[in-house]
Amino acid sequence: MTREKKLKVTIDSRELEVRPNTTILQAARESDVYIPSLCTLEHLPSYGACRLCIVEVDGLRGYPTSCTTPIEEGMVIRTDTTELRSLRQEILKLLLSEHPASCLFCEEHDECKEFQGTIRKVGVTTGCRYCPNDARCELQEITEKVGLTETSYPVYYRGFSVEKYDPFYDRDYNLCILCGRCVRVCNSVRLNGTLSFKQRGKLTTIGPAFDRTHLEAGCEFCGACVSVCPTGALSAKVSKWYGKPDTQVTTTCVYCPVGCRLELQVKNNEVIDVLPNYDSPIDRGLICVKGRFAIPEYVLSPERLGTPSRLTPVGYEVISWDQAIDEAAKRLRGTKPEDKLVMVSPQLSNEDLFVAQQFTREVLGSDAVISSMMIDLGDDLVPFLELVTSSSTFDTIEDARGVLAVGFDSTYGYSPVGIRIKKAGREGALLVTLGACDSNLDMLSETAFQMEPPQWAEFLGSLVDYLARGGKGKVKIRKEWTSDIERISRIFSDSSTNILVIGQEAIFSSGRREIFEKARTLRDKLGWKIIVAHPYTNLLGMLAMGAFPGAKPGEFLKNGDAVTVDLPVIDLAKRKKVVYLIGEGRFDTIPDCDYLIYQNGLPPVASRQPDLILPASLFTESSGTTTNGEGRVLKIEKATEPFMDAKPDWWIFNRIAEKLNKGKLKYKDVAAVQAAIKKQVKGFYGGRKPVEFARINAERATKWLRGAPKQEGQSSGAGNNPSYRGIPLARVVAGMKAIDEWVNTSLLSDKEAQ
Amino acid sequence: MPEPIRTILAKHSREPDELIPVLQDVQKEYGYISAESVRGISKYLRISENTIYGVSSFYAQFRFTEPGRHSVKVCLGTACHVRGGATLLEMLERGLGIHCGETTEDKRFGLDRVACLGCCALSPVVQIDKEIYSRVTVNKLTEQLKEYE
Amino acid sequence: MNKLKKKINLAKKKWEEFVDNREPIIYVGAASCGRAAGALDLLSDINRFIEENRVKAKVVEVGCIGPCYLEPLVDVKMPGEPRVSYNNVTAKTLQNILKAHFQEGIPFAKAAIGHFGTNSYHDIPRFYELPMLKPQVRIVLRNCGLINPEDIDQYLAVDGYQGLMKALQMPPDDVIGVVRQAGLRGRGGAGFPTFKKWTVCRNAPGEQKYLICNADEGDPGAFMNRSLIESDPHAVLEGMLIAAYAIGASKGIIYIRAEYPLAIERLKTAIAQMREYGLLGTKILGSNFNFDIKIKEGAGAFVCGEETALIGSIEGKRGMPKSRPPFPAISGLHGCPTIINNVETMGTLPNILRNGAEWYTKYGKEGNRGTKTFSLVGKIRRPGLIEVQLGTPLREIIFDIGGGVQKTFKAIQTGGPSGGCLSEEFLDLPVDYESLASVGSIMGSGGLIVMDEDTCIVDVAKYFLDFTQKESCGKCVPCRVGTRHMVELLDKITHGEGTADDLLSLRNLGDTIKKGALCGLGQTAPNPVLTTLRYFRNEYLEHIKDQRCRAAVCKDLIEYRVIKEKCTGCQSCVRVCPTGAITGPRSEPHNLDVTKCIKCRSCYEICRFDAIAGDAIVIRTAEKRS
Repeated sequence: MTREKKLKVTIDSRELEVRPNTTILQAARESDVYIPSLCTLEHLPSYGACRLCIVEVDGLRGYPTSCTTPIEEGMVIRTDTTELRSLRQEILKLLLSEHPASCLFCEEHDECKEFQGTIRKVGVTTGCRYCPNDARCELQEITEKVGLTETSYPVYYRGFSVEKYDPFYDRDYNLCILCGRCVRVCNSVRLNGTLSFKQRGKLTTIGPAFDRTHLEAGCEFCGACVSVCPTGALSAKVSKWYGKPDTQVTTTCVYCPVGCRLELQVKNNEVIDVLPNYDSPIDRGLICVKGRFAIPEYVLSPERLGTPSRLTPVGYEVISWDQAIDEAAKRLRGTKPEDKLVMVSPQLSNEDLFVAQQFTREVLGSDAVISSMMIDLGDDLVPFLELVTSSSTFDTIEDARGVLAVGFDSTYGYSPVGIRIKKAGREGALLVTLGACDSNLDMLSETAFQMEPPQWAEFLGSLVDYLARGGKGKVKIRKEWTSDIERISRIFSDSSTNILVIGQEAIFSSGRREIFEKARTLRDKLGWKIIVAHPYTNLLGMLAMGAFPGAKPGEFLKNGDAVTVDLPVIDLAKRKKVVYLIGEGRFDTIPDCDYLIYQNGLPPVASRQPDLILPASLFTESSGTTTNGEGRVLKIEKATEPFMDAKPDWWIFNRIAEKLNKGKLKYKDVAAVQAAIKKQVKGFYGGRKPVEFARINAERATKWLRGAPKQEGQSSGAGNNPSYRGIPLARVVAGMKAIDEWVNTSLLSDKEAQ
Repeated sequence: MPEPIRTILAKHSREPDELIPVLQDVQKEYGYISAESVRGISKYLRISENTIYGVSSFYAQFRFTEPGRHSVKVCLGTACHVRGGATLLEMLERGLGIHCGETTEDKRFGLDRVACLGCCALSPVVQIDKEIYSRVTVNKLTEQLKEYE
Repeated sequence: MNKLKKKINLAKKKWEEFVDNREPIIYVGAASCGRAAGALDLLSDINRFIEENRVKAKVVEVGCIGPCYLEPLVDVKMPGEPRVSYNNVTAKTLQNILKAHFQEGIPFAKAAIGHFGTNSYHDIPRFYELPMLKPQVRIVLRNCGLINPEDIDQYLAVDGYQGLMKALQMPPDDVIGVVRQAGLRGRGGAGFPTFKKWTVCRNAPGEQKYLICNADEGDPGAFMNRSLIESDPHAVLEGMLIAAYAIGASKGIIYIRAEYPLAIERLKTAIAQMREYGLLGTKILGSNFNFDIKIKEGAGAFVCGEETALIGSIEGKRGMPKSRPPFPAISGLHGCPTIINNVETMGTLPNILRNGAEWYTKYGKEGNRGTKTFSLVGKIRRPGLIEVQLGTPLREIIFDIGGGVQKTFKAIQTGGPSGGCLSEEFLDLPVDYESLASVGSIMGSGGLIVMDEDTCIVDVAKYFLDFTQKESCGKCVPCRVGTRHMVELLDKITHGEGTADDLLSLRNLGDTIKKGALCGLGQTAPNPVLTTLRYFRNEYLEHIKDQRCRAAVCKDLIEYRVIKEKCTGCQSCVRVCPTGAITGPRSEPHNLDVTKCIKCRSCYEICRFDAIAGDAIVIRTAEKRS
C-alpha cells in the first residue's frame, strides 16, 4: 500500500498534517479538535443538516459545514470563534425548540438527576422522565459542550403518539430531530429502504410508506436505526430504561454460522443490549435481528434452568450438583456403548464440542455422538458437508460480478451475506434470485424467478447444462425458461466471478440432492464460488473437533488427502437405554429411551419429560471459541456470571467423567481444553485465516440413517424458525414471536392471493 | 399488476431517474398514487416502496387519495396574494366545507393551492380543471363553481 | 451546415411571402396569460367569422408580446398595410374589428392600441412608441408575440440558429471567450459570471457532462421564463446548444414546472422540429458536436430551483439540497460535471453569439452588461412582461413603463421570496445586481411586485416567509425551524398581539438563518422580513403598539362597516353574506353585525361591482383594542 501524502492545513492557528480525502470534520477529529455535530456519524454518508459543525474557512463564503467540506492543502480553518460559538448556540436553540428539553433546562434539573433511580420506579407518565434515552443522549452532551443553558423559543410539541406496535423497538417521533441518521443507515448501509423522510418542511417525518408498520414495510429489525439515533426517538424495548451500561464485552454471535461480532452491553451482571461493531471484517457491523435483539430476552428468560433437578413421580425435584452428577453417572455406568446415544447441538463452542466427543469416546466408550443436524440432512448429509466444508468466504461476494441466490432470504438472518449481495447488485453485478415467493433480494435483482421448490433443481440443472456447454449444442430446457436462461447465461459467462448462494429453503427442499450436485458442477467445472447459508452455527467446529461419528478430532482438516466419510449406521427406531442431550431441544429427532438426560439453558417443550435436567450456561456466560461458516475460529467472551447454578457444558462433562472414575477429563478451565485441542487439532487456533478442510468424497454417500422420523413441513425447515440450543427464539423472545406470526400470516395471505 | 400501470412502466427504462416521470404518468392516469401503483413501480424500478412514498410525498404534485371530479386550484402567487388570493381560498374552504388538499365528500371538488400559475398580470387567478379564470372575485367564483357538476 | 443554410433560405422566402402577405393575417396572443384572458374563445370566433364571411385570412397563434394588461390581444395585418394591435378585445369588439378590416377596409381605430408600421397610420400610435414599450430594449424577448412559436421556419427567418452556426465555427474555448467578453451573468438570480461556471465545467475531468436548463420558475409573481418559452422556444433551445457545445456536454435536460403545460407542449414541438432539421442528435450541422435534449417536469417543489436539489429531483430523489463544495460544475448529475443555467441566460446566448460580444456590451453598464426581463405585477397600472437594460432606475420601470401605481406607491418587491421590499426612497436605485444587494435585496429571477397603500407590509413579509416556510425542504435546522418561528412571530404581529421584543427576535432569527442555512432558499428566506423591518419599521410598530393595520388588510385589525348615508338598501349584500351578519329591510340602510362578520369580502365586492350604491361598504382599520 502506498502511503498517502499528508496535507498541511491550519486549524485554529495550529499547523497540522492530515490525511487527504477526508472532510474538515474528520481531519479535525483525528487531530483532537472538537467540533460539535449531530447528524454526522462514522460509516454514514455525510448530510450537513444539523448545521452545528459549521466552521470558518479562509476563501470560502459564509460558514461551511465541516462534515461536508473536503479538506484541501493549505486550508486555514477556524472552529471556535465568538461568531461561531454564538451561531451554534442559536442553531441549537432552534433545534431544541422541536425537541422537548426539560431534561436540559428544567429548574429542578440537578435535583432530578440525584433522585433518578427512584423516579424510574414510578410510572413513566407521572414523572417528566419521558425520555428513554436520558443520560445516553447525544443532544444532552452537545448542549453542554456548546454551552447552552437556556432557550428562548417556544417548543413545538408535535403531538405524535408513541409507536409501540412493532417488535423490539418503540418510536417516539416527538423526540426526533430529523438528523436523518436512521434513514441513511437503513438505506445506504443496510440497503433496506424501510425508513424514508416523508412530506417536507416542518411536516417532515420519518417512517415507511402509507403509515405502515415496520413489519408491513419490510423492516429487518436489524436495529441499526436504533443504534444511531442520537436522541430517545428510537429505543429498544428491552433496554430502553436501563441508562448507561457498566461495561461492554466483545463476543461472537452463535445464533448462526456467520459469526458476527457483537458488543454486549452489560449492566448489573445482565446483558441489557447488544450493539454491532462496524469494524468487524466478517460482518462489517451488519448484524441481524437475532444478534441485535434476541439475546437479552433469551439469556434472561424467566424460564431459565437454574438448578439441577430430577423427575420424580410427583414432578421435578431440585437437587444439588453433586446429586445430579451421581445420578447421571449411575445411569451411564454399565450400559453397553450401543445402548447410549449422545446428541450435541452444533451451537456449542468448539471447546464444549471437543470435550463432548472426548467424553463420549473415552468415558462412555461409544462413537455415537450425533446431532439433530445430521438427521435433518439424512442421507444427503455427505454431499451437504462436502459443499459446506468448501464454502467460500463472505467477502468474495464483494468482488462478484454475478450472483445466483437459490431459496435465500436475508430479512431475519444472514444479513452480512444478504447485504453484500445487495451491494454487489447495486454496483452492477448480475443478481438473479430463485425462490418460491418474494425474497428481500428481489428489490435489487435483475430477475427474480418464482417457482415451487421442487422445480428449483430442474431450473438450476438447465442453467448449469447451458453454461457448461457454453451455449453450444442442444440443452433440454423447458420452453418458458429458455429465453431467460439464455439471457442470464450470457451475462454469467461474461462475468469474472460468479457466486451461487444456497439458502435454507433450498437446503430443506426435496430436490436438494440435485441442487448440491449442480453446485458442485458449477464449482468444479465453471469456477463458481459457493456459499451455503445453513443454520448450523458451529458445524465446521463440530467436524474439526470430531464431535461426529467415525471421525476423530482433526481428521476433517486438510492434510493432503480427500476424506471419505464412513458413517456408522444409526437406527433411530431402536430403543436406547440412555440418551444424553446437550443443547438439543428438538424432540422429534430423538429415539425412544429408558432414561433421558437433558443439559440445556431452557426447558424443552415435549411430551417426553427428561429424567434429569442439568442447567447449562449460555454463550454470554462462558468463554470459548466458535468456528464460523467460512472456517474462521472466533472468540466467545464471557460477559456475565452464569444464571444461578448453571454451569458450562465442558464442566459438567468433566464432573461426570470424574465420578465415573475415568481420569481422562481433568480440565481446570477453558484454557486447558484449548491446550488439549491445540495438541490434537494442529493449527486450529492458527489465526485469522479460515481453517481449511479436506475435500470430502461426496460420491461415496452411504445410506446411514435408519428409522428417521418423518419430518413434516421440512421445506420450511429450521431456517425460518431460528433457534438456539434447540429452543426456537420465537418461544422466548416476544419480538421474534411477533415476526414469526407476521411471516406466517403474510405467507398465508400471499398464497390466498395466488 | 393492473394493465395501465404495466403500460406506463413499459414506456420507461428501469433507471431510478425515471421515478418522478413514472409517478407523473401514474397520477395522470389515475389522478392519484395508490398503494398498488407504488408496489408496481417499486418492483419495476427496484426502489423500495417506502422510498417511493418518501419521494412522492415531498412533491406537492402528488396525492395519495382519490381526487375530486374537478380540481380547483387557487393561485397564491405574490401578485394574487396582494390582490386577495387568500380570501378566495378561505371562501372556497368555507363554501366547500373542506381544507386545502382535500376532496369534498361527494367527490365533486378537490381543492388545492398552487404557488404560481404565472398569470400574475391577471391576478387573482383560479384554475378549475384546465380552465384558468382571471381577475376572480369572491362572488364571480361562486357563480363559476355552479357550472361544474 | 449547408443543409440548414438551404432551409434558412427557404424559410426566409416563406417568411417574406408571409409578411408580404398577399393574404390578411390575424394574430392572436395565445400564451397562457392570453388564454386565461379568453384568447381561445376569440380564436374560435375569428375562425367562425372567416368561415361565415368566406374571407381569406391566415390566423396565427403567437406568444406574449408583454403588456399583459392589454390581454387579450388581437392583431390584424391587411396586405400592404401595417399590423394593427387591438387590446382587451371582447367578443363584441372583435366583431367590430373584423368588420372594419374585412368589410370596410379600414382599421377599427377606436379600439386599436398601436401599429407596427413605420409611418403614421389612421391616428393610431406606433406600438413600440407606446409608453410601456418605448423605454424597453428587447433582446431576449425580440421575437415574442411576433413569430409563431410553433414554426421553426419563422424562427429561422428571423436569424434563428445563426448564433449556433457562428459558435460551431469556433473552438469551444472561444465561445466561452465571447460570453466572457460580453460580460453575461447568470440570469437565475445570483448573477454569477456565466463564463466562470462554464470554464470550471469545461476543464473538469469526465467523459459525460450535462447541461441543464432550469425552467423551474418558482418565484410566485414571476413568469418571464414561461412567457419566453411559450413565445420563442427555439431561442432557449438554441442557447442550450451553444452552452452545451462550449462546455462539452452531450446530454441536455430542461427541468420545467409541470404547472406550465403550454410551455412544455411548445418545447416538445420545437424539439421535434429541431430533430427534423438536424439540430439535435449526432454531428449537428456537420460538426463533431453531438447533443440531445430531454424534458423533465418538476413535480411542485420551489426548492428544486436550487441547483443541487434540482439535480436530486432529476435523479428521482427528494429535492433536498446538498452542501457545496463539491460544486455541480465538477460533480453534479450522476456525479458528472453539470452546468445549470436559467432559461433567460439561454435565451440571451444566441443574441450574443449572433451579434458579437461587443454589440452586447453596448447595453447595460460596466459589470452589469445587457438586459434583464422582469415581470412587473402587483398594484401597477400596466402590468406585464418587460425587458430593460441593466442599470435602469426603478422609477423608470414603475412609472414610465408600468404607468405608475393605482393608488399611492408604497413599496416594490424585487427578487421574489428571496428578495426584499424597497421603499420610495430607493426609486432612483439603478436595477443591477450590486445596487440591489447593497440595500438588502436581490435581483432574483426578475419578479417585480409593486405595492400601494392598500398593501400591508407586515402581511407581505408574512406571506413570503410563509411561502418559504412551506417550501422549505426540512433538511437543515435553521431553515426548517427558524422560518417557522419567524412566521409565527409575524402572525402574532398581524393579529395585533406582537411586542417590541418580537422585532428583535425576528432580526436575530433572520440573522441566524441567513448565516446558518444550508442552501440559497434558507439563506435568503429572511430577506423580505429584514428589509421591511429596515424600511417599514413604523408599520410594524403600528401593528404592535396601536394594533392598527393602516392598509386595512390584517383581518384581526380591521372591520367592515356599512355607510348608512350611502346604502340604498338593495339587499345584494344581505344575500351574499354567509353568516347573516348583514340585515335590514329593502330600501333601508342595512346593519352589519361586526360580531358575526367573518370578513370574507363578499359584501364589499358585491357592493362595489354589482350594487347600486357602489361603495356603501367599507373596510377600515378597527378601533384600538383596550
